[in-house]
Amino acid sequence: MKNIDSYTHVRGESVYLDDIPVVNGTLYAAVFDSPVAHGKIKSLDIREAAAMHGVVKIFTAKDVPGDNQIGGIIPDEELLASTHVHFCGMPIALVVAETDEAARVALKKIKVVIESLPVITDPREAKEKGELIIPSRTFQIGDTINAWHQCEYVFEGRADTNGQEHLYIETQGAYSLPQENSAIRIYSSTQGPTAVQRTTARVLNIPMHQVEVDTTRLGGGFGGKEDQATTWGVMCALATYHLKKPVKYSLQRMEDMRMTGKRHPYSSDFKIGLNKDLKIVAYEATFYQNAGAAADLSPAVMERTLFHCTNSYFVPNVKATAYSCRTNLPPNTAFRGFGGPQGMFVIEAAIAKAADALGISASVIQQKNLLQTGDEFPYGQKAESEANECWDKAVELYDLEKLQKEISDFNHSNKQYKKGMALMPICFGISFTKTMMNQARALVHVYTDGSVGVSTGAVEMGQGVNTKMLQVATNIFSIDPAKVKINSTNTYRIANTSPSAASATADLNGKATEIACKEILKRLKKVAAEEFKTSEENIDLKDEWVYANGEKTMWEWKRLVFETYFRRISLSEHGHYTPPDIHYDLKKEKGHPFAYHVYGTVIITVTIDCLRGIYEFDSVKVVHDFGNSMNTIIDIGQCEGGIVQGIGWMTMEEIVYDKEGKLLSNALSTYKVPDIYSVPKEIDIHFLATQKDNLAIFRSKAVGEPPLLYGIGAYFALRNAVKAFNPSADIPYDAPMTPEKVLMSLYHPFKK
Amino acid sequence: MDNEKTCPGHNETNLYASRRNFLRTSTALAALAVASPVIVKAGENDEKIAALFEKMPLQIEVNGMAHSLSVEPRVTLLDLLREQLHLSGTKKGCDHGQCGACTVHVNGKRINSCLSLAVMNEGKKVTTIEGLANGDKLHPMQEAFIKHDGFQCGYCTPGQIMSAVACINEGHASNEEEIKEFMSGNICRCGAYPNIVDAIMDVKKGGQSL
Ligand code: FES
Ligand code: FES
Repeated sequence: MKNIDSYTHVRGESVYLDDIPVVNGTLYAAVFDSPVAHGKIKSLDIREAAAMHGVVKIFTAKDVPGDNQIGGIIPDEELLASTHVHFCGMPIALVVAETDEAARVALKKIKVVIESLPVITDPREAKEKGELIIPSRTFQIGDTINAWHQCEYVFEGRADTNGQEHLYIETQGAYSLPQENSAIRIYSSTQGPTAVQRTTARVLNIPMHQVEVDTTRLGGGFGGKEDQATTWGVMCALATYHLKKPVKYSLQRMEDMRMTGKRHPYSSDFKIGLNKDLKIVAYEATFYQNAGAAADLSPAVMERTLFHCTNSYFVPNVKATAYSCRTNLPPNTAFRGFGGPQGMFVIEAAIAKAADALGISASVIQQKNLLQTGDEFPYGQKAESEANECWDKAVELYDLEKLQKEISDFNHSNKQYKKGMALMPICFGISFTKTMMNQARALVHVYTDGSVGVSTGAVEMGQGVNTKMLQVATNIFSIDPAKVKINSTNTYRIANTSPSAASATADLNGKATEIACKEILKRLKKVAAEEFKTSEENIDLKDEWVYANGEKTMWEWKRLVFETYFRRISLSEHGHYTPPDIHYDLKKEKGHPFAYHVYGTVIITVTIDCLRGIYEFDSVKVVHDFGNSMNTIIDIGQCEGGIVQGIGWMTMEEIVYDKEGKLLSNALSTYKVPDIYSVPKEIDIHFLATQKDNLAIFRSKAVGEPPLLYGIGAYFALRNAVKAFNPSADIPYDAPMTPEKVLMSLYHPFKK
Repeated sequence: MDNEKTCPGHNETNLYASRRNFLRTSTALAALAVASPVIVKAGENDEKIAALFEKMPLQIEVNGMAHSLSVEPRVTLLDLLREQLHLSGTKKGCDHGQCGACTVHVNGKRINSCLSLAVMNEGKKVTTIEGLANGDKLHPMQEAFIKHDGFQCGYCTPGQIMSAVACINEGHASNEEEIKEFMSGNICRCGAYPNIVDAIMDVKKGGQSL
């Protein structure tokens, strides 16, 4: 089934935050943010700005009626800086004016004097100085200390990955409207409407039921609007609260890039030990996560790094420790993969290092250590593995041997161009790692004319979740898709939602929708059973007709609905779902945190130009564990998009802060995201269809995040291509592998 | 150590600021040409000058409809479309000419509407995404984007489609390489690129006249 937004998307009729028609009297907000990364506010002078034409009011920390606090996991982040600033871009004042222009002109007249304090941008330095967001955590299985003796080979090293700017093409924004009795409605471009609601209530010191948050769709989120959309919603609400006026704020691109956090950069140490059969016996890793200036979602991201530190491999002895380090950068946040990719990069680096030293291909080690069903992850869950199935299928389907030969032939006969290839198996756990968040609700109304309205807690951001929700309802009622409408995500219809994140949105909300629909279906069938004097089990609904005992009746769907209503039976249901069997013991760091895992294998091939350092990806060949995909069009789109984003992270997307913590890569001109040229020449995606039971909606496994992990293979393919040109190149494990870095390593060590 | 910094706002040079400066300069020049010395003196105050020349007349045809407007000279074509004409199909992704989300056709040629001042389009014909379909009947490129799933979040889509139509009209869609080159100004963060290329190839092959 096509994305249900297709028609409005291509006509420019889909409504995003900035497209909501503004009501009369709407005011415009703009944030004055800190020009320095760390310091004490000595004075803040807003007088001149406040007196400017068109300016209605300027709010500072003093104007917050409730708790000046937006920290979701840990209350460590002020909405508006009161005494100190902790990062460049930290909001200090909120200007509200009659026009957007007036607000922005006024920003330039605000004067702040800040006494600078020392700036930390490096996570290792932060750790040294004891600047940790939360105490470190360690995952452990077996006993690494004693295991090193059993190892034939032991290698140590360091691996670094940079951050990644979300660059959703729709910037952050919110629009708040005063309602009667001091309630506030906020239209927010957020992945987490409840987070906006909860934080607004806290900041304004009003009950949550006074705050309605509504989200139609996002022009991209990728994690960047999971927690960090909240700020803008609350800002607008703060102004609406005081002024009783509608207030809108749609961020400019450079404001967005400057003020919001990104994917966490990590710096890590590893130690890996293998026996003579190349089985990984022991693995130790220490992760230094660059959390930025406040917790935001960093503790949860760090947790997922640990969960995924052994990727798709079984390692009997593991010790992995992670530090969430406080630096003076904007608080880093969720980004597709949520710390998982950062953890996986490190073990892949460790394997590559071992392979290099042993003079073999990394794929030999990878293959020998793939998870088998029943193997235990360091956190205690047992794998239901498809790792070998995906790997073997990829090797066979894409003829790995032939590919390898083609590459070595090419490299033999070419000087200026070299090819490199890498395999990358992936394994990604599906569920929020915080067990509590694995719950969802859906509200289904069947109207007397037979049309159906569905509301869930899922936020549509391009991942096609609303299409999947619609499929669930049409499938269960067996009605025409045109009869079903998916409503905007609204905290008045669906309360206490978890954000649309962790790839779990379709599963959680889909199951809740399924529960609600099935409950209504049961009532409908009961009515039909009475009418046709049979039992409910003998009633079927097929293509909008009622069948009794296998025979088509005179009742069509509409009649059935009306008869049910006539008998005063409810045609509405609020479904609630929590996945079974999920638990986690934080003290022991053991449990069963994931509903299931998604597996896959990619073979990536790249050609580099050894004169210029530039490169092109020839092919990305994937075997991906979709379970039983309920929407192949959407799932392929997610796969392709994730791969492109993953390759971007590993190759061209380079976030640069200066020593003072100022973002230099602050626009699309200085921060390169994949354009149409960056797409691999060939992307093959093979569905590993499995009939095994799982906890996914209609057994269609989650697909939002896992494909991004394939991008990691791009880094190693590039590395192998460089090695083909310069076997002695000593290339640090430091992503992204930009063309500049490729060029430097091609001629490293540099000889005059 | 005296480490105090005074910061009257940000000194980043974004385009917004420079566009304003350009306008200030140009309106100031215009003032020199037409106004009395008293006004020129007032010109030292940007805001007063801006107020003096607040609006300019603009005749423009948008999606076949003639408009007689009065606009501030610093307003971009993008803002004119979105804010004044309420055609919100054209998207703002960067406002700096770097993403292509705001692509529209002016006299049949594609431009980034965020880089064009509304008043520079006097007497011209503008087509936006809203003007592409014929009522309910979709334009072939719109059909092709649906057929090939050329989007995910849809935010870049209006710009992609406007660019794609122009790409074919310019004769720049004879093969995949060429399409890539001539579509490279349109960023899609969702990464729907392969499908976008397929959609364009399909329309091109179909040989429909656009
Ligand atoms: S908004 Fe015009 S190019 Fe980005
Ligand atoms: S579809 Fe989301 S940016 Fe292109």
